[in-house]
Amino acid sequence: MTSTLDFIQFVLAPQMITGLSLGVAVVLVALGLTIIFGLLDVINMAHGEFYAIGAYAALALGAVGINFWLLLLIVPLLMIPLGYLTERGLIQRVFNKPDRHVTTLLLTFGLALVLEDVLKVAFGPNTQRPSTPIPGAIEMFGIMMPNYRLFLILFGIAIIAAVIVIVNRTALGAMVRAAAFDRNMAASLGVPVTKVYAGTFAFGVALAGLAGVLLAPVFSVFPTMGRDFIFMAFTVVIVGGMGSIIGTVVAGLLLAQVQVLSSLVVSPVWSDPIVFSIMVLVLVFRPQGLFGRLGHA
Amino acid sequence: MTLRIDNLHVHYGLSHVIQGITLEAKPGEVVGIFGRNGVGKTTLMKTVAGWVQPSDGAIALDGQPFVGLTPDQICRHGVGFVPEDRRIFPGLTVEENLKLGLMQRNQRSRAGDRDAVARIYERFPRLAERRLQTGTTLSGGEQQMLAMARVMIGEPRLVLIDEPTEGLAPMIVAEIFAIIREMKANGIIVVLVEQNIAGALAVSDRFYAIERGHVVLTGDAGVQQAHDDLMRAISV
Repeated sequence: MTSTLDFIQFVLAPQMITGLSLGVAVVLVALGLTIIFGLLDVINMAHGEFYAIGAYAALALGAVGINFWLLLLIVPLLMIPLGYLTERGLIQRVFNKPDRHVTTLLLTFGLALVLEDVLKVAFGPNTQRPSTPIPGAIEMFGIMMPNYRLFLILFGIAIIAAVIVIVNRTALGAMVRAAAFDRNMAASLGVPVTKVYAGTFAFGVALAGLAGVLLAPVFSVFPTMGRDFIFMAFTVVIVGGMGSIIGTVVAGLLLAQVQVLSSLVVSPVWSDPIVFSIMVLVLVFRPQGLFGRLGHA
Repeated sequence: MTLRIDNLHVHYGLSHVIQGITLEAKPGEVVGIFGRNGVGKTTLMKTVAGWVQPSDGAIALDGQPFVGLTPDQICRHGVGFVPEDRRIFPGLTVEENLKLGLMQRNQRSRAGDRDAVARIYERFPRLAERRLQTGTTLSGGEQQMLAMARVMIGEPRLVLIDEPTEGLAPMIVAEIFAIIREMKANGIIVVLVEQNIAGALAVSDRFYAIERGHVVLTGDAGVQQAHDDLMRAISV
């Protein structure tokens, strides 16, 4: 009996809390991905690199003495013009071609490769680890919890909640949902769809950048960091339902638990295959994902 | 202020859907467009709204040319579009659907928006009752009213209405035609495509009969002889 309790307190609970912080992190990256897919029908292969750019921007600006808390505001703001220009300058050029899915997929994949190499040239291939902005740890329910992880969970949940409110409860969000469902009808009611598209893409990119700032102290910073993290984010988006915000949140939190618990119960080498098998099963048996798409009731 | 469509041609790939249509409508005038299925009526409406680009010809409202503009630009020049199948957004509530129509206005203020919404709810109490429901949970007739209300809220100068009474009960049909009469009374130009020819002629001032992308007959909706000619022209 005591050994069961010990197992729960010292092994299972810490692992589940690690899973929660991983889940929040994945959701932060996946949210932008799912919003961009839900509205524009574009699979943004470069999303992971925007996440990496956010992390490197935080590193570079931190090095010149800008405070971490300020970076949480500045970096997303800097990502907005980058996202806006990417949409208007690249994606919009091929958007109305007949095979949009293939062209935008290849275009953003090419962009991802370029951005990754730019980061490599500019910052070198080595891994850098920013110091944690909130050192120390506190004891909660008998578990030692690093302060920064706790902050990450709480702040991440606040950001996720804010995104849900913006998309589902504001006039701006109504425009995005309307344009996601029926572009022509939204336009005929006066919704400036090209601006909404670019603005939403920029919003998604800014979210990826914010995730980069937040996660750099936990997962370190290296040129291919986007590529590594994006597979998990794609899995979450597919399982949750491409373009579903709630689905992304639910799938992100669940799959992160699956990952940490399977590495505990089975083996760490099996956690990735298990998570990706879930994606495959969902694609085979419920290709629309767990939840419905943005703008579709 | 006039709607002028001049020698309009539209192609879908190889098929020449609209083959030189010329049409005119004045403020406070309801113009009925009649013809069998597939003669290009819906394409004509979509082309004026900017959903489809013409291959030749001109469209202008009040001398402002529309060809080459995007649907949102055309909308902001005072054109409201109530397309076939209503196109209510399923992910939006009745009120969100309605408020989207406010985007058509060029000058907006918080108070102006509030008044406009209040006026619409006063005119359509059923929509007010259901304002927090998802748009597509409304009945077909209510959805049609919502589609018309969300255009009216933007105070357009021209309204294009495609098959508004299709599949609706007679009582609702009468209500839809009453709304069209109100639009006319407010000095709006209404272009109406409708299969219910008798009902549509009763609210129309003039009509155009279309056959294979051409105007084959125009006439005064108030003249009985014109009705008979229309029926023959579109052979229904």
